[in-house]
Amino acid sequence: MASELRVNTLKDAAGNNSIATSFVAGGSAKAWSNLDGTGTAAVIDSFNISGMTDNGTGDYTNSISSNLSNGNYVITIAYGNQTGSWAAQANGQLKYASTPAAGSYSLTTGNSVNGSLNDFDRIHSAIHGDLA
Amino acid sequence: MASILKVDTITGVTTAGSISVTGEGNSTTTNLQQGLAKHWVRFDQVNSNTFGDTFNSSSFTDAGTGNTKFTRTSNLANDDYAAFITSEVQATYTNVSNSMLAGSTQLSTSLMSAYHVENGSAQDTQTITMIAFGDLA
Repeated sequence: MASELRVNTLKDAAGNNSIATSFVAGGSAKAWSNLDGTGTAAVIDSFNISGMTDNGTGDYTNSISSNLSNGNYVITIAYGNQTGSWAAQANGQLKYASTPAAGSYSLTTGNSVNGSLNDFDRIHSAIHGDLA
Repeated sequence: MASILKVDTITGVTTAGSISVTGEGNSTTTNLQQGLAKHWVRFDQVNSNTFGDTFNSSSFTDAGTGNTKFTRTSNLANDDYAAFITSEVQATYTNVSNSMLAGSTQLSTSLMSAYHVENGSAQDTQTITMIAFGDLA
């Protein structure tokens, strides 16, 4: 049977390691994804991501299942290739001129040496913020 | 009324590994297990390869200049997790540094590798951090 627990603070059984439940909710990632941007781009694994749009080489938009309260959340991005050559200088970034929204965010991956966008087979992103 | 729950392990009723937490807006829930970081590291590659702090790391391997592999205490379920690297720029190249995941073998179930690059070349850094989100085995 489903049950609901309402509590302000969690502690271990010895009464140590106290943490407010507000930190549990506030500190948890609200969404994350692992994308393969090569070939037919695909979501390898994710949490709270309803889908990904491949906008072109090195350019992706993630859609969020349960929206955040606004677009002011924190986004972390990292990427690389598992095999073969991988760019010596690879930077994950929010897409130029894009604004994160409550239900989606866009990112680009590329090579800062020559400024080109490139696909990678491991593109990771995570967001922290308040759920709607 | 304020309340405190004292417990060592929290387990879901319907599904042991799935607990919902009400979100900040009071209208939706988020999955507790899925949102928690499963592995994080702060590491010094310059001064004798030392952990500053870590969660769920059992050991490390120096995989060459700028490259450190971290072995987990509790494995992830697979290598599909999302991981992130950030590091400190060193004096040899003060403008831009890049930190990233490296190589297929480093992305196996129990290992994560952090790789630091400055000006196109691998470089040890005093502060490299890594955090990973995914499913525990």
